[in-house]
This record gives sequence, C-alpha cells and structure tokens, in this order.
Amino acid sequence: MNLRTDLRWTPWLYLAPALILLGGLLVYPIYQLGLISFFHYTQAQVSGGEPTTFEGFGNYTELFSDSEFWQVLLATVLFASACVVSTLAVGCALAVLLTRVRAVPRLALMLAALGAWATPAVTGSTVWLFLFDPDFGPVNRVLGLGDHSWTYGRLSAFFLVLLEVVWCSFPFVMVTVYAGIRAVPSEVLEAAALDGASQWRIWRSVLAPMLRPILTVVTIQSVIWDFKVFTQIYVMTNGGGIAGQNLVLNVYAYQQAFASSQYGLGSAVGVVMLLILLAVTLVYLRLLRRQGEEL
Amino acid sequence: MKLPSRLAALLAAAAVVTACAPQTSTNSSSEKDDKSGTLRVWLFQEVGNKPKEKVVDSVVAAFEKAHKGTKVDVEYIPIDTRAQRVKAAFNDPKSAPDVMEFGNTDTAGYVKDGGLLDVTKEFGAWSEAKDTDPTAKTSVTVDGKIYGAPFYVGVRALYYRTDVFKDLGLEPPKTMAELATTARRIRAAKPDLYGLVVGGAYTYGAMPFVWANGGELATGKNGSYASAIESADAQKGVKAYTSLFTDDNCPAAKCAGMGGNDTITAFAAGKAGMAIGGDFSHTAVEAGKVKGEYGVVPLPGVTAGSIAPAFAGGNNIGVLKSTSHRTLAVDLMEQLTSKKTQASMFDAMGFLPTFADVRSQVAAKAPYVKPFAQTLAAGTKFVPASPAWSQIDSQLVLPTMLQEVISGKKDVAAASKEAAKKMNAAFSSVG
Amino acid sequence: MTRVNPVVLRTRWLPDAVALVVAVVVAFPLYWMVLGAFKPAGEIESSEPRPWTTSPSLDSFRRVFGQQDFGRYFVNSLVVAGSVVIVSALVAFLAATAVARFRFRFRTTLLIMFLVAQMVPVEALTIPLFFQMRDFGLLNTLGSLILPHIAFSLPFAIWMLRGFVKGVPEALEEAAYIDGASRGRFLWQILFPLVFPGLVATSVFSFISAWNDFLFAKSFIISDTSRSTLPMALLVFYKPDDPDWGGVMAASTVMTIPVLVFFVLVQRRLVSGLGGAVKD
Repeated sequence: MNLRTDLRWTPWLYLAPALILLGGLLVYPIYQLGLISFFHYTQAQVSGGEPTTFEGFGNYTELFSDSEFWQVLLATVLFASACVVSTLAVGCALAVLLTRVRAVPRLALMLAALGAWATPAVTGSTVWLFLFDPDFGPVNRVLGLGDHSWTYGRLSAFFLVLLEVVWCSFPFVMVTVYAGIRAVPSEVLEAAALDGASQWRIWRSVLAPMLRPILTVVTIQSVIWDFKVFTQIYVMTNGGGIAGQNLVLNVYAYQQAFASSQYGLGSAVGVVMLLILLAVTLVYLRLLRRQGEEL
Repeated sequence: MKLPSRLAALLAAAAVVTACAPQTSTNSSSEKDDKSGTLRVWLFQEVGNKPKEKVVDSVVAAFEKAHKGTKVDVEYIPIDTRAQRVKAAFNDPKSAPDVMEFGNTDTAGYVKDGGLLDVTKEFGAWSEAKDTDPTAKTSVTVDGKIYGAPFYVGVRALYYRTDVFKDLGLEPPKTMAELATTARRIRAAKPDLYGLVVGGAYTYGAMPFVWANGGELATGKNGSYASAIESADAQKGVKAYTSLFTDDNCPAAKCAGMGGNDTITAFAAGKAGMAIGGDFSHTAVEAGKVKGEYGVVPLPGVTAGSIAPAFAGGNNIGVLKSTSHRTLAVDLMEQLTSKKTQASMFDAMGFLPTFADVRSQVAAKAPYVKPFAQTLAAGTKFVPASPAWSQIDSQLVLPTMLQEVISGKKDVAAASKEAAKKMNAAFSSVG
Repeated sequence: MTRVNPVVLRTRWLPDAVALVVAVVVAFPLYWMVLGAFKPAGEIESSEPRPWTTSPSLDSFRRVFGQQDFGRYFVNSLVVAGSVVIVSALVAFLAATAVARFRFRFRTTLLIMFLVAQMVPVEALTIPLFFQMRDFGLLNTLGSLILPHIAFSLPFAIWMLRGFVKGVPEALEEAAYIDGASRGRFLWQILFPLVFPGLVATSVFSFISAWNDFLFAKSFIISDTSRSTLPMALLVFYKPDDPDWGGVMAASTVMTIPVLVFFVLVQRRLVSGLGGAVKD
C-alpha cells in the first residue's frame, strides 16, 4: 500500500461518520440559531400566524440594554466559578482518597457517587430542597436552626444550589481523575511516598502535572456545564429566587424568552453564552499551550 | 459604475437574507371539511382525572352515535408538557388535534399564533350561547371574534377556620382593613398559625387587593394596551397586600416565595387561620387536616358589604385552525361545553359552570358553591386580552414586583413603576 | 477543600473511615428519595420527618407502574439510550483516533469546533431541530430522540476518548505494523480493546444524558404518546395543585435503578481495565 496517500485520507475517513452526524444535526441548528437571533421570531412567526421580520441587531440591543441581563451575567460567572472550583476540589480529593483505601470502602464510595450521578437533575433538586425545607427538612432539625429559610437569602439560596450541583457533578471528576491516577506507573507514586512527601505534595508536584490532559478536559467540561446550569436553579429557587435574585443566564433566557416563545431573543442569549464560553475556553487553552501542553 | 454595483450588492444581500429566513410553518385553514373519520381531542389531565374521563366518555358515546362513521380519540395531557405540545401542534398540523382544551388566559396568544379557528358564526348560531356568563364570553373573544367555547370558570374567595374564629370570638371580616386586623389577631393569639397566609408569587391572590382599591392591571382594548399598575389606586392595593408579609401575619422569609398552591397546602395542613383559595381548591382542603373546620366567604372589598373583584380563571375548549373536520369539530366543542355536560362536570370535578342558570342549579345542590357564585355575580376581572400577557406572565413581572416590595429591595412606587415599564415593553413588542 | 491526611502506616484505618463517612453523606439524599418512595401518603409531608418508616407501602410504586403505557415508556427509554450509547461509542472512537493519532490541517480547528458544539444551551436549538425532524419525517418517532442525542454526546465523547487513545503508546502501533497488521486490524483488534475502558466511561455519560432527558421527548413526541420516554412519566406526578411526592420519589427511584445497574455492570470493567490497559 502507498503509505503516503493512505495517511492523508485515513483521518478524514475515520472522521466521516462523526462529521456527517454533527454536520447534519448540530451545525445546521447552530447556524439557524445565529440566524434566528437577527429576526423577530416568536411562536406567531413559527406557526405561520405572522411573517418574520428582519431585525438586525435589535434582539441584541434589547438584551444589552436590560440592566438585569448584566446582573444575571455577573451572578452566573461567579456562581459557575464557585461550582467549578468546588467540584474539582471535591472530585480530585476523593479520587486520591480512592487510591488509598481498601476494596470495601472504595466500592461504597464509588456506588454512592454513581448513584448521585445517576439521579435525574429534577429529582436531585427536589430532594435537596426538601432536605433543607424550613419546616419539614432534617437539616434544620439536626442543626437546630428552627425554621430558617435557606431559600430566602440570595447567598444562602445560591449556596444550597451549589451543594446540589457539586453533589451530582463530582462523580464525573472523581471517576475520571481516579482512572487517570490508576494509569500513573505505581513506581512513581511509591517513590514519592518513600521520600516522605505529604499527600498534598504528591498531588501538587507529581500527580497534577501527569494528569494535566485529563484535568484540562475535566475543567473545561465543568466550566461549560456549570455555566449552563438550569434545572437546579429553576427547581430549587422557584424560577430564579425572590425577585429574580438567583437568576443565572440559562434560567433568565428561559424566563425572558423561551417561556413566552420569543425565540429570536432567546437565540440572541444563546449566541452570547456561546461566545462567552468560547472566549473563556480559548484563553484557558492558550494558557496551557504556553505551559507546553500540546493540543 | 458605482450605483448599479452597490445596488446589486444590496439586492444580493437582501436575497440572501430572505432566502435564509428562519423556517416557519404554515398554519392556514384547511380547505377540507370531512364529515366522517377520526376526531382527535386533547383535554387537560387533572388530579383525580377519572370522574372527568367518565363524563367525557359519555359525551363522546352520544356524539359517535349521532354521527355515524365518526370516531373520537381523546387524550389527556399532563399540565407540565401542555404548553410545549400545543405549540408543537401549531407547528406541525399533522400532529395536531382537532379540538383542544386551553386556559382562558392563553386565548389571545393562541389566536396570534394563528392556531385557533374563528367560530363566531357557529357560536352565534348556538342556542345555548346566549346564556353564557359575560366574563366567560370575554375570555373567548379577541378583537370582537370568538375563538372557542367556555368550559368552566374558577374564582377565589376567603377560606377561614371556623374553629379558630369561634375560639377567639371572631367574625368573618367585612372589609379589607378588617381582614388585616383579624389576621394579626389570629397570629397574636396563636403564634404557630399564619393569620392570613399569603404568597409573594401569588399573583391572582394579590390582584383583588389592587382591583378593590380601584386600580387596574392595564387599560385599553383590542390591540393597544397600556399598563396601569403604577397608578395611585393600584399602588394602594399593592401596599395593602404586601403589608401582610410581616412577622405578625405571614413572615417574609417563609411567605415571599409562596405561590397560590403553597398557600392552600398550608391552610389545608392547618397552619393558617385564613387563606385565599379557589372553588377548585375545595377538594384539596377537604382532603386536608382542616376538614369540617372551615368556612368560605367572598373576599371583602374596601367598603363594608362589598366584594373584592376576583380574577375569573377557567378553561375553554376550541377548535384548531388546521382541522380537516370543521363542522364535526365545532359540534363536538359545543357538546363538550353544553349546559348538560357542564352540570355533569360539576358533579364529577367541581368545575364551576359558565352559564349563570346552571350555576344556580348546582349552588342549590352544593352549598359550598354559594360564596363563589356570589363573587362571580359581583363582577369579575380578567387579564388584558393581549398576546403580550403570556410574556408578562412568564417573565414573572407581577411576582417580581410583589417580592421586591416584600423583601425591601424597592418601595411600592419604584417596584410598580418598574413593573409598568416591563408590561409596556411587552405590549409594544406585540404591536 | 477536603484534605486527606498524610498516610502513615499506623493510621491506615483513617482513609477508610473518611471514605465511608463521605459515602454515607453522598448517599443520604438517595436514601431519602427511596425512603420517600416507600412512605405512605400521610407520612411524606408530615411535620415530623423521620429517616425511617414503620409502615412501608408499595402504593406509590403501584401508581407509577399503573400508569398508562409505563412499560412502553421504559422500553422506549432503553431503546433510545441503548442506541445512543452504541452508535456514539463507535463513531466517537473512530473520530478520536483520527484526531489523536494523525496530524492534518484543521485538526485543532476541528477540536475547538467539537468543544463549541457543547457550549450552546440546548433549549435554544429545539425549534431548528424541530423543523429538521419534521422535514426528515421523524417527528413522533424514537429516531427524533436518538439522532439529536447522538449528536450532542459525540463532542464530549470525542474529547474524552482522545485522551485515552493518546495514552496508547505509539510503539505499540509501530510494532503491529511491522508484524504485518493492516490498518483495520490494528484499529479493531488492538486499539479498540485497549481503549475500551475509556469507551465505557464515556458511554456512561451518554447513557445518563439520553436516559434522563425530557426536553427532546417533550418537543418532538407530540401526537403519538406511545413513543414517549420515562422522564415524561415522571413529570406526570408534578401536578401543580398537589404534587404527588410519593409518586415523584417512586418514579425517580424506578428511573435511577437501571442506570445504577448499568454502572455496576461496567464499573468492574472500567476500573480493572484501566490499570492494565495503559501500562507499557
């Protein structure tokens, strides 16, 4: 076989099924998303009650001139950052823990984590909300807080949602990082332990650098997911909290646009979200590249 | 040659834009009017749906007998997916039903979406139509045309604990001011009860306070509305309602986030002295701890002996524009909303009929209907019959306004001004 | 930040204890959910919630299973999730091999595009997808659920698998070719088994998101509810007036069990395979 031409076509051949599926089912809708954001496009237009009208940047102007949008954006960035940091910390710590325990505790922790991961977001949110219920919930009972309402204050409501998000997100980090640690040659770990390095030191100087590709993927994924959180906020803060103080971008988009079928405006929010996430990711990847990590 | 090339570029751009316009569906009226075949009906699935199904089954059986060669296929839709499915039905006429039940606040929106069939003619020719309650008729009318038939109506009144009142020697309040003082007295004497349980997200519980003080949600008609929520009268009403969210009645921390259902749940569990509930809450309250120990009176207005105007909720049944069985579908719609069916529906589900004469019939049978019938007779109000209402509703404009005042973020004037701004933005965006 | 204590031989039991405590804390909400499914109606919303029940009842489960077409929904969910997992795994494996093993123009661009695909809020795409499904004639069929889910899980799967494929040493590949293996043989008989644990890991993710989704089911299954999926059956219990909490918990338990079963089945594979797969 002629290896040179063979090599040139092979990757594209392998990529073909993926590109066909993605091209048909994602590229086209995303293109439509961008297109719709420039039109006045609501249910009336979609079902033919009224004609579509080109609005140029009208939807974007409407969005950016709403002061609530900027507040919600800031809240989303802060909330998502807190979720990502917490989830990564808990996930990585537990992954290291998993490597150090015997079979039974490891199985117990794995199963518990997988159970948390498997629970539908709607159910998880409802159960956590109930656990912290001011009148009926066990948490207030155990902590002796009487009927303190966790969902009334802005920060405490965000904190409650953060707990649920970390609960259902850490298993992904834990399992992936654990798999990565298992792949590290045991001689390296043993050598570091013999040298008397503390667990934290081992993590910082030995494991983290070796796990960098996995940590990169896990971080980017977490950022994307936590930025797009919807169900947990919607269920636990009853649609955005008291006077909308707990709104995050996805819930805001739903409330302002999708719930009343204003797809044009909603698509504009979608495009903004996409651009923000893209910017964050590109910056992160560039930082990595500078540190020598190849993409 | 600058001009032609620029023109060409512009034309090309315009062509690209129009060629690239987002996809739409055409929901034009079907030309067909089959006199036989299968009719598809979508009805709401209620809590304890079996009795409703029984009544519908008997209507369907009679209909199928009267129209040989016709079958009726009824589906019950859970409320959570209802909105999505209706919109999908508008987008894909092939998946759409012929007849459907919908909330009366959705009428204007659905008409604008182009999904409902104009049945003004048939409704006018219907013998029972003339007895329709005027407010119910308003809820099926958009721009002077009729788009469905009223199915049932629902209003709210004041539920109160007869045992607590007896204990404290209280009488049901006759004015709104009395309502507030009675509530405070209850909580002062029994600190583990709310006086009058109110919800910060309970729009339809708050509106009577606005309306009783002479305020309005919006003014205008038929296409152009303007918000009136920031008027002095409306503000008085908002103030009256939000001042109930204090520790001596219903603490903000617990009550600010409550919706209508939460307040009824609290009352039914015996945690409140009074609550604002609907005739539709009757079953839930009966099933609760307070069974046999509560009574209902109309919500009092500002002056003694007056009744605060209530919101006339309810459902309608309409025919979809895309139907290919127009005559049959309209006939079925009339059968499902006839006086006879509505009387049976009351027996089965407690739905209040939309005909005044049928209402007095059922009130004689079931005394609990009386305060609600009184409230209806005293005059009810509706939301602005504008397609913008669904936007205002989903954007939580009114609950946000209430919660801003309750949590101290804004005062009544600022909050109502902000709400008016949002409402006007919505009204102008639908033209 | 949770810190794990330094491992000293004397306190070997400490990490075990910590792991067990964490497991209990993490599992508690799950326990509460299952408990709620078994509690009789009166106890669920009582003012004295107890972490046990003296009179467990199967009533809530009866309501769940007694729902019209429940078995159908279950099967539909299985078919959708199963198809998504299998197709997604195969397609992603090929694509991941391409981006991890070959250098070609646009490789980096493609990788970024795969990331971008995940950044869009899905709700925003339902209308364009709706029209696409309608034009393909797939509305009201399971295909309208399977195809979008495959498309949405591919980008993530490709990124994850890329890491695993990269972990297989190139020396192995060279050795295989020297031994006379064709490209296809190397791919399926050598690389695929080595990357299998990674495939399993990403399958878990595709399975969960396909299994728990109701957005697409809500939007694309309109007139033929026999094609509906399990999460829709769960939504029925969230009635606005009086949510049936027992029913919600029972339905959620029923929904979670198959995923847990799937996990338990693959977990051993996942963990045991990883150790051996990537060692030199």
